[in-house]
Amino acid sequence: MNQLIQTLKEQLIEALNLEDITPEDIETSAPLFGDGLGLDSIDALEIILILEREYGIKIDNLENAKEVFYSVQTLADFIDKNRK
Amino acid sequence: MERESKNPIACYIIGDAMITALGETTSENLRAIKEYQSGIQLDGSGDFLSRPIQVARIKQTVYDSFARYDSLEFTKAETLIVSVIEDLILQYQVDLQSFDTGLILATTKGNIDQLTLSDAIPTQTWLPALGLKIEQYFKTTNRIKIISNACISGVSALIVGKRLIQNSTYKQVVVVGCDVLSPFIASGFSSFRSISPTQCKPYDESRNGLNLGEACGALLLSATPSADAIILSGGAITNDANHISGPSRTGYELHLAMDKAMNEANILAKDVSFLDLHGTATVFNDEMESKAVSLSELAEVPVQSLKPYFGHTLGASGIIETIISAHELKDGICWATLGFEKTGTSVPLRVSNLHQPLDMMHCVKTASGFGGCNAAIVLSLPEFQKPSESSEPITVSRLRSVLVEDSKIFVDSGLVFESAEKDFPTFIRQANKNFGFVNQKFYKMDDLCKLGYIASSYLLEGIDFDSEKTGIILSNKSSSLDTDHKHAKLLFKEGESGVSPTVFVYTLANVVLGELCIRHKIKGENTFFITNSYEEADLIDYSTSVMRSDNLDYCIMGWCELFEDNYKAEFKLLKKI
Repeated sequence: MNQLIQTLKEQLIEALNLEDITPEDIETSAPLFGDGLGLDSIDALEIILILEREYGIKIDNLENAKEVFYSVQTLADFIDKNRK
Repeated sequence: MERESKNPIACYIIGDAMITALGETTSENLRAIKEYQSGIQLDGSGDFLSRPIQVARIKQTVYDSFARYDSLEFTKAETLIVSVIEDLILQYQVDLQSFDTGLILATTKGNIDQLTLSDAIPTQTWLPALGLKIEQYFKTTNRIKIISNACISGVSALIVGKRLIQNSTYKQVVVVGCDVLSPFIASGFSSFRSISPTQCKPYDESRNGLNLGEACGALLLSATPSADAIILSGGAITNDANHISGPSRTGYELHLAMDKAMNEANILAKDVSFLDLHGTATVFNDEMESKAVSLSELAEVPVQSLKPYFGHTLGASGIIETIISAHELKDGICWATLGFEKTGTSVPLRVSNLHQPLDMMHCVKTASGFGGCNAAIVLSLPEFQKPSESSEPITVSRLRSVLVEDSKIFVDSGLVFESAEKDFPTFIRQANKNFGFVNQKFYKMDDLCKLGYIASSYLLEGIDFDSEKTGIILSNKSSSLDTDHKHAKLLFKEGESGVSPTVFVYTLANVVLGELCIRHKIKGENTFFITNSYEEADLIDYSTSVMRSDNLDYCIMGWCELFEDNYKAEFKLLKKI
């Protein structure tokens, strides 16, 4: 799980153009959206693409999006449960 | 200093022509709408997306019927634009060679369907090259004005045309709007997950996205009325200053545009007979519109969206929907919103899936688009026109200027920042750090937006202004072609799944305006012109007329150009004195 969290942070930094941010700067359980990293709805679409491309998780209609996209931890839990 | 003269001239709509998936003339389109026909069909050709997609596509036989242009090697967009203008000339004897006739083109992407896998960028994908082709074909005396303001382009162009009539620049203006379908556009909207797998259902509780379409339409504006003219009696543009792709959560800024347009037309909510809204059928757009309508106290007025007939035709939508709305006023009928069954917005709107006869006076037509822009116009039957007061002449001064080029930044001709780094990405990062305003979003922007962002930061530093009384009017040559190429490369090399919404959202020049509005909380007029070179005097004249008609205190105007290694931003801050 720790490896998945580390990799996910690196993927987020690259895909979301997070300047001057290292994986260590992203708190695993802190909210991803809102003020912290300044993520928004376009970033959410990019995260969906990461899930599809990197983990083979196809998302057509995510009922509990808010919970899944809450933090790196919740995303990693979701990936762990659903990846192919 | 610039001064304007007082000039209360009415702007009449005296003619129209259009080609859509529903027909090649206005009367063909009206007949199809009357019969509840939709131009949207399931297209399994793979021409736009690998999966079947619901689109409103102009039939190939229509393009084939323009064999007379074969020797000119016109693209699809050029064929449509030229044939629609020719139709207008034939019907209304327009003289485009007259010094008194202007020509405006509204388009989001022009000939972008001509971009290929090749690294070379075809000349015709440059919007000024498209404009030049139109000018040469019609031997126009005046240069064409091109407006690329995302999905409000068509309505924006009508507002620009109206101002050019009212400030006596021209006696007649042809305003043409055109966009054609392409994998470029379809893959981008698909990456935004905004395409509905079924026919769109604006304002319905089960709405789940838009359908794309292609179309071309033209309106003839004139300072002189015809027997069955409609008056373009008001128009205004605002910005959400909130997000570059997500609509406002409150609807306040669209409401502001509607109220400004209605004030200009000197009408009240009770005078409005029907609303022709943008109505794309995405969850957030329609919700935002319902709130705006309510804020403008128009919730009891019949509402329609014409998207279920034509699809979302981007830069053409404002033109073709205005054509239909003008005919609705004249014919006393408000067309049905196809597919609507049950209210799905938090403020219920008076939407109907049946055509309704109405007593007509005025129509409010709106559009909203990427970059956070909103536009509204008022169309009026001449017998119900209310006398409106003409705005007072104003005097403006240039408060500050900023120049960014060659790794240097000048404020009022004084060097304020210089970098030894010649490549743009490194220079602009350093400039941002030097300015000292921490904003993680800066790094997500494309290079064109970063350029505008830095230039505007220096331009407005330390200046207090009213967000609703400040506007931005910018221009450039390459539109968003630098980022267009990046999006096309992803699409052609990695396929649809490789397309990035973060890249696609910047394939519109006016998103620069959106980023600047967010950064500085500016909610006033915002318009982006495409010209072959910087025409500063014209842009100052236009900005001054906007400041006058829109009652703005400040206007940022200038040039914001970036393509590959070449860039230059030249901004001025105008202040009303």
